[in-house]
Amino acid sequence: MSIDSHYAHPEVLVTTSWVSDHLKDENLLLIESNEDILLYEMGHLPGAVHIDWRRDLQDQTVRDYIQPSDFASLCSRNGITPDTTCVFYGDKSNWWSCYALWVFRLFGHEKVMIMDGGRDKWIAEGRPLTREVPHPAPSRYPVPSMRRDAEIRAFYEDALAQSRSSRTLIDVRSPDEFKGLVTHMPEYPQEGVLRGGHIPGAHSIPWKQAVNKDSTFKSEADLRKIYLEDLGLDPNDDIIAYCRIGERSSHTWFVLNYLLGFKNVRNYDGSWTEWGNRVGAPIEKSS
Amino acid sequence: MAYPPKLEAIISLFGALSEPERRETLISYAEQSRFQEPKEGEKFELEDIRKDQECTDTVAVYLRVDPDGGSHFRVTLGPQVQTLTRSMSSILCKGLDGVTPEQVLEVPADFVPKIVGAELVRVRSQTVYYLLTRMKGVAKVWLQRQRSEGLASEDSSSE
Repeated sequence: MSIDSHYAHPEVLVTTSWVSDHLKDENLLLIESNEDILLYEMGHLPGAVHIDWRRDLQDQTVRDYIQPSDFASLCSRNGITPDTTCVFYGDKSNWWSCYALWVFRLFGHEKVMIMDGGRDKWIAEGRPLTREVPHPAPSRYPVPSMRRDAEIRAFYEDALAQSRSSRTLIDVRSPDEFKGLVTHMPEYPQEGVLRGGHIPGAHSIPWKQAVNKDSTFKSEADLRKIYLEDLGLDPNDDIIAYCRIGERSSHTWFVLNYLLGFKNVRNYDGSWTEWGNRVGAPIEKSS
Repeated sequence: MAYPPKLEAIISLFGALSEPERRETLISYAEQSRFQEPKEGEKFELEDIRKDQECTDTVAVYLRVDPDGGSHFRVTLGPQVQTLTRSMSSILCKGLDGVTPEQVLEVPADFVPKIVGAELVRVRSQTVYYLLTRMKGVAKVWLQRQRSEGLASEDSSSE
């Protein structure tokens, strides 16, 4: 399977076959980001480094992302320069690789890609894994001047304003979470919140609608039907996507931004774990 | 309550490890999880095979209890089960081997962070607790059956 050339930015998506052919490219770095904390150590793509969403990308005390200086250090430790093309992949249909990519974009790193189908597809095709952990020579990565929170990230107040002004909010959680029938994600009952439901006015488009059974992204035509024809969105719309902690909505952010070419999509990473626990936050339920 | 001796030994082992060693050891246990699957010809008193909300894939728990009351667990894990949960299946199958079902029910879950470590117990890794709950569930059913059968035999002998 090749990458659909009709995507708005087909250059950000690469096949497992392409990755296999480019494992030794200079200025290209494979980055594995998973939900399963120990999965990288069980075996990973040759040459891939590990970036952990919690340990490496988030502040260890405050619920927030790392600061620009920390990002520069992270990149330096992994041999990344501003010219490095970072190819992200991981488990769970690339949730966390999209999340890591989104954080890299928060800091303005330009050259980013996703390996379509992620880790599971690579393994399903019988491609090799290794336990050899690379030790890249430290690089020089300039400290980004800012974190682009205002451009691709939304906060509670932004989501509230979006709701009050009837601009587009996309809830990518499961239908039962959206309806308020459950206060946790399927298979994660320990992650409950105090209130169930959704942000008033939000549309329910579960992230999973954007992928095929093998975790690859659906074709541009299929995605266009879901988001433009059926939901009625316009690529110029101001859109905020959310889930529970921002990883599934990173996936949808990637789809809208890179595959369909939407221009104003933000990821509300506080998501339902903030909204559903916040005193006074307006909530809508539906059957 | 004190942990069963075999589990206590595993907890002590982890207590002496550095963080990298802890991760290596957890991976080693995860790899051994396939050896905890039922062996050819093994028979069990109870088999609990299901996919439920608490875990990402099917988990099967098998229980055999010796005439002297010692329990032996076997566990089969679906491919999507997380690595830490795989580690925990090996640790629990070994650590609880030979204890009575009553003792299984009394094992406190507070040993989990002692083994897994604070860094790895976090959002999205809580299923490490799941397997102990499943094993306790099977042990409880086994005990209930024993009591029911005991009552039934008392009834029949008194007739």
